[in-house]
Amino acid sequence: MSRSRIAPQVAPAPPRNRRAWTRKGHLVSAGLIILAFVSPIYLTIVNAFKTQDQIIRDPAAPPVPPTTQNLTDALARPDRIVQIGLTNSAVTVVVSVLLIIPLGAALSFWLSRRPARLRRIILAGFAAGLMIPPAVILLPTLRILTFLHLDHSYAGLILSNVGGGYLSFAVFVYSGFLRSIPGEIIEAATVDGAGTLRIWRTIVMPLLRPATATVAIFLSLWIWNDFMNPQFILGPLHGQTITTGLYLSVGQYSTNYAQLFGVMLLAAVVPVAGYLALQKQFIAGLTSGATK
Amino acid sequence: MTTRVRPRRGDPALGSIALVALGLYVLFIVIPVIMSGWKSLTNENPLLAQADFVGLSNYTEMTRDSDLAASLSFTLLLAGAVTIVANVVGIGFAMLLNRTSLSYRMMRTVAFLPQVLSGVVVGYVWRYILARDGILNNVLVSLGIIGEPITWLGSPRLAMFSVGIVAAWVLTGFTTVVHLAALQSIPVELYQAALVDGAGRWQRFRRITFPMLAPGTTISVTISLITMLKLYDIIAVLTSGGPANSTQSTALYIIQLAFTDNRYGYASAVAMLLLVVSIVIALSVTALLRRREVDL
Repeated sequence: MSRSRIAPQVAPAPPRNRRAWTRKGHLVSAGLIILAFVSPIYLTIVNAFKTQDQIIRDPAAPPVPPTTQNLTDALARPDRIVQIGLTNSAVTVVVSVLLIIPLGAALSFWLSRRPARLRRIILAGFAAGLMIPPAVILLPTLRILTFLHLDHSYAGLILSNVGGGYLSFAVFVYSGFLRSIPGEIIEAATVDGAGTLRIWRTIVMPLLRPATATVAIFLSLWIWNDFMNPQFILGPLHGQTITTGLYLSVGQYSTNYAQLFGVMLLAAVVPVAGYLALQKQFIAGLTSGATK
Repeated sequence: MTTRVRPRRGDPALGSIALVALGLYVLFIVIPVIMSGWKSLTNENPLLAQADFVGLSNYTEMTRDSDLAASLSFTLLLAGAVTIVANVVGIGFAMLLNRTSLSYRMMRTVAFLPQVLSGVVVGYVWRYILARDGILNNVLVSLGIIGEPITWLGSPRLAMFSVGIVAAWVLTGFTTVVHLAALQSIPVELYQAALVDGAGRWQRFRRITFPMLAPGTTISVTISLITMLKLYDIIAVLTSGGPANSTQSTALYIIQLAFTDNRYGYASAVAMLLLVVSIVIALSVTALLRRREVDL
């Protein structure tokens, strides 16, 4: 499968007069390959706008005529699982990210001014945080939250988001970025008598803006899409995020595909719209780490 | 450690924010790991109200636990296979899409989309596609490729294969973007020189493109492996670990031991094993691939 996908590049160079044709051929084959690749997403979108009958009769056909019945049905559910889920997810994401960004940035800046040995030890500890599977620390995390009387609460979910592996990611992005900021800028401000907190707020944070964009975009996506932590920290009876709400509600739809796709489209639309709106920054943030 | 990490003269305020961050990290990463380590030496079971120190008996039990062996080998197989497939396809996609016109940029945007969806959505979409009366079987039967619909998620072998395909589908968006960035950082002069020397397409790929992709590949492979070693949501939705536990990753097994069987002590021991395996694999693969970069 993978081999055939590489083929267009590996094929022998065509003679000059056939260049224009092969350029078109390359575009068409690339388009077909990518289309096949994303066909599951295509199915989700078209089937969200079809009736159950249409879905079963011809699942791959475009929705003609399109119906918004599935979406209105999903939004009209008496348990309001979509509306509640979207609200809860949004609150969790916003509060978590608004806490992680200053904490991660301040810690990274503070670390950048510590002796190299101490900095290396702490950064190694944070690197481990990126590699720890969430299932490994889930049980003790629940115990700690119970001890703090924050189990089954959004406060507990947010607090464990802030302290857990996501902070590792923020510290890594910020620490890498801080290395590229010349020390003279900060020294000059120190000479002018500014305190470290003020330097951090007025000089370092603005310089770190591209890193902040990366951190905010990725953390928002991951926290929005997270399933394990909301599932176990909130528990099934204490309100849902959109992922756990989808999981809980969809069992009822095992054969009602129209309803399934309606809820799924509503669950997926926020991250997809966010990605499409910010995809330039998204990709830039992703690749700056990869080519460093 | 805490005694050394003290704010110095002149920056008490910044230091205290840093300390809050450090404290939260200790509370939600460091202490949980230590707690797991400690609990792995007990037989804690909240239903039986017991929590006695049992030494290494959980660890000796692991050597006899065939479910654990199955989950660990499935996890490692999945991580290895998906990492290879997603990165090979990702390199292929990157080369296919490495052009600057708008259509290619749009295709790149679209190819990354699976990464943006939550694992729960991905799981449900694919469960629909792979169902016995699902669209994949319909297409294959109507094309005459298969005579009978296949139960993609119904038999152990096929379910393992299906989980792998779905995971590779998700990861490929990521590997494509990382390799595209690496491709774009290759100097054009290298290809020009190779053309002058009369190198063919395959030789240019073999001698220039592939080795120059190395830094991107290091990142891509390491993150692919880490992602796969912790994979939970897609499997939970797609197969819940079945049929017959064939797709139970170690992460799922830990959850089952802790929340279904209530064996906290033993679950903690398995968690410690997964932790060690994950860190050893991540570090050694990174070191290995880094050396490959240096060798160039």
